[in-house]
Amino acid sequence: MTTDIKTEIDFLPETDSSAALLEVRDLHVEFRTRDGVAHAVNGARFRLQSGQTLAILGESGCGKSVTAQAIMGILDTPPGFVTKGEVLYRGVDLLKLSEDERRRVRANKIAMIFQDALSALNPVFTVGFQLGEVFRKHLGMSRADAKKRAIELLDMVRIPAAAQRVNNYPHQFSGGMRQRVMIAMALALDPEVLIADEPTTALDVTVQAQIMKLLAELQAERNMGLILITHDMGVVADVADWISVMYAGRVVEEAPVHDIYARPAHPYTKALLESIPRLDLKGQQLNVIKGLPPNLTAIPSGCAFHPRCRYARDACRVDPPPPLYETGSGTTAACHFWKEVRGGE
Amino acid sequence: MSDVVLETKDLVKHFPITRGIVFQKKIGAVRAVDGVTLQLHRGETLGVVGESGCGKSTLAKLLVGLEKPTSGSIVVRGTDIARLKGNEMRRARRHIQMVLQDPYTSLNPRMTVGDIIGEPYEIHPEVAPRGERRRRVQELLDLVGLNPDHINRYPHQFSGGQRQRIGIARALALRPEIIVCDEPVSALDVSIQAQVMNLLENLQNELGLSYIFIAHDLSVVRHISDRVAVMYLGKVVEIGDDAQIYEKPTHPYTQALLSAVPVPDPTLRGQRDEIVLEGDVPSPANPPSGCRFRTRCWKAQEICAEKEPLLVERERSAHPSACHFAEVRDVVHAVE
Amino acid sequence: MSSSQMEPVATSVAVPAPTVEEVERPGVATGKPRSLFSDAMHDLRHNPIFWVALVLSLLVIVMAAFPSLFTPNNPADCQLNRQHAGPNGWAIFGYNFQGCDIFARSVYGARISVEVGFLSIAVLGTIALLIGVTGGYFGGWADAVLSRITEIVLGVPYLLAGIVLAKRLSAGQSSGIWTVVFVIGVLSWTTACRVVRSSVITAKNQDYVAAARMLGAGHARIMLRHILPNALAPFVVVLTIALGTAISTEATLTFLGIGIKPSGDGSTISWGLDISGAVPHVRESATPLIVPSVFLSVTVLSFIMLGDAIRDAFDPKLR
Repeated sequence: MTTDIKTEIDFLPETDSSAALLEVRDLHVEFRTRDGVAHAVNGARFRLQSGQTLAILGESGCGKSVTAQAIMGILDTPPGFVTKGEVLYRGVDLLKLSEDERRRVRANKIAMIFQDALSALNPVFTVGFQLGEVFRKHLGMSRADAKKRAIELLDMVRIPAAAQRVNNYPHQFSGGMRQRVMIAMALALDPEVLIADEPTTALDVTVQAQIMKLLAELQAERNMGLILITHDMGVVADVADWISVMYAGRVVEEAPVHDIYARPAHPYTKALLESIPRLDLKGQQLNVIKGLPPNLTAIPSGCAFHPRCRYARDACRVDPPPPLYETGSGTTAACHFWKEVRGGE
Repeated sequence: MSDVVLETKDLVKHFPITRGIVFQKKIGAVRAVDGVTLQLHRGETLGVVGESGCGKSTLAKLLVGLEKPTSGSIVVRGTDIARLKGNEMRRARRHIQMVLQDPYTSLNPRMTVGDIIGEPYEIHPEVAPRGERRRRVQELLDLVGLNPDHINRYPHQFSGGQRQRIGIARALALRPEIIVCDEPVSALDVSIQAQVMNLLENLQNELGLSYIFIAHDLSVVRHISDRVAVMYLGKVVEIGDDAQIYEKPTHPYTQALLSAVPVPDPTLRGQRDEIVLEGDVPSPANPPSGCRFRTRCWKAQEICAEKEPLLVERERSAHPSACHFAEVRDVVHAVE
Repeated sequence: MSSSQMEPVATSVAVPAPTVEEVERPGVATGKPRSLFSDAMHDLRHNPIFWVALVLSLLVIVMAAFPSLFTPNNPADCQLNRQHAGPNGWAIFGYNFQGCDIFARSVYGARISVEVGFLSIAVLGTIALLIGVTGGYFGGWADAVLSRITEIVLGVPYLLAGIVLAKRLSAGQSSGIWTVVFVIGVLSWTTACRVVRSSVITAKNQDYVAAARMLGAGHARIMLRHILPNALAPFVVVLTIALGTAISTEATLTFLGIGIKPSGDGSTISWGLDISGAVPHVRESATPLIVPSVFLSVTVLSFIMLGDAIRDAFDPKLR
């Protein structure tokens, strides 16, 4: 009976099974504020296949979270507006759907987890109630059935004594446990894509390891696509298959994980790698990236990174922003001088 | 040992848990710091690491006098500063200062940068005569890499990294010998962290400072520290120099902690010795008997519940380690 | 990777002077520093309610200070042969039961109300500040005791207590405004006190206060330099609103006969008195009742709206 109801909700008739699971093309998002228009995302693009982990790497203000929100359709509008671009789920442009249709996609196909689980969970309802809500609402299950499913979900995310803990409130869980509850909620309806926005940034490192391991296991079990948004280059090295580096709202480099770390082709990626201290090395000189990330209402002309770049030439300032040059099969870098960056010192 | 600039002995801080509105009855205590003995040598950086609830923030507050210890001593320049009061306490603060974590809340938004950095001189007028103060503040701004002309600006006009520099300048105003850094780069962007870390290191070399560097990011701590102390539930479980702690850790908690830290090198994926701890950290109000880590430790035996292991050198551990079964295990590099 | 940094780091301490971009922050790039204050001022400037309330409030204050600017007539000049007469020259609303110019009386009546209003908030503000800062800053049993006192006063039925207190204090005395000021001040400080207390507690927990304590700052310095400047804003807003409420309370008490008492020669002019005097004669003419009531309502409203508008503008959560 459950599957029948689910098919009724599965309404997307024109999904293209040959298309990528999720593809974002030339996305532009701007925020209209009192201080001017902030160009938060300026032509972002991604591609995700089932079973793959795509990491979107960048610092605060680079537009990664805004991109995720735009994909999910939960952008704060106003002041945020998607001015251009397509978000294709199996070939269907989500941005062109009605709000209702998009909401159904949100629950069933694409799910998201956030950094702060405590604010994502309602403090006045038990965890079981909130988990069960998904089933009662979208599948029309009875309360008892929904609760049973909730317990199964808690088990799936390895919360001990799930049958008792299902009656607890969010504040009765530790940070790591709450994050697991949020993962359970996100995976309740078996989505095909999971977007994790800084899921472990607020957690202790040992808890982070537990959560990342859990995500990897769940992803493998379901052949899910995972988009991991983070600034932590260590976490990315551990789990990602493919990396997109973002800066000032643009993707500046795309490559498989090994290439990014071994042979970065964009000065920003390279500089980032050189500026982080490593657990297994001592006494390295930390190279500094001078200057600050740009003010999104006043992005520098030409290449947005040029004021901070040690390879910068006149062309970087004067010419239009560099496109993503092909640096290999499927890998790209948005730098006029990428060959030098990759090959040289 | 006149080389030692700071020494704590059995430092303890318990926060009472009370019940009742008007008359409060003590029903227990959060044992935030439960017997910490450390030494800091001149010119060195002692890193203190641990996860939430280990007591490192409380330790920082004890060292700079923001909290009074329940028992134990903190000796700086031959005096136990934990026992001081009033004017003596105020004078003692000139030797040990702190850089706080959050650059957005550690500066009074209604004071100019010059006032903020100059406040130490107002509180300790004997350090700098009136006429000299402005010049000194400008020197400090220059020292931390900021423009001395910005002395009349307000904090909100600066970025996070710059605000942190202002906080560092304020800590340096009284020329202390010891600076406690409480997570000084955690709230900053990755690309800015390196700037502030380099600044701290340069200042240490130039001014001969000694640092206690408290952080949860083990890579950052390794980079800047000479020696490292690992804390768990209010106690130090292992202490040694950076090579000993990172390459030859002997305490199970240290090993678990290190193995959980991701290294930005994908070639190590699946190659390292992986230790994943089960369960949650016990409550600091009710720590386990004997060894506090035993509830999550894969090596735990009966003796661990009965006898608390002391922080001493052991048969298989050249540096002090609080484990009955201390043994080296490399969790950072690839295992053959 | 050899160190191909652009800036020399090894020898001197000086980290390179920041490039221009480093110093400018969003908002500063456009020339105007955007603090909470200027954001709030911007909101206020565009809020029509703010302007209306501000203009009206100022008008009332000017009216209280310089009543002769608004009417040349003498409000105490009452002639029975003009009883309930219609409008005549500056007496645009006509005359009341005693033949006094209604408009002139209402204009001159502003003075007492405004005086009582400001004096009351001075009294209640002082009490609120002292109790709120002491409780909030020192905490512990001092806060426990002071909070209980606050709650007790809060629990006392306001008007009832006001009436009892006023009756006792004014027994036998002539109209003094001080009785009313005292009654209002002593009963109304609780809300402002709680606002102060919570602002002080919030400010006290800020990191920059910890930093000041760590530098060795004493209580006085911390309270004056760090806590009060950051805690005063909500307090001032509450006071503005309390001003409106105080004026309204005075009118009520006076209407009930226990506030301002009329002096024999008719020189005490107050909206409350005019309203209470007009009630028995309302069948003959409603104007002597309506005009001072409108003056009173508009005054009270304008102060309250002013305070509200300022509070909304400064509330960062509403952004």
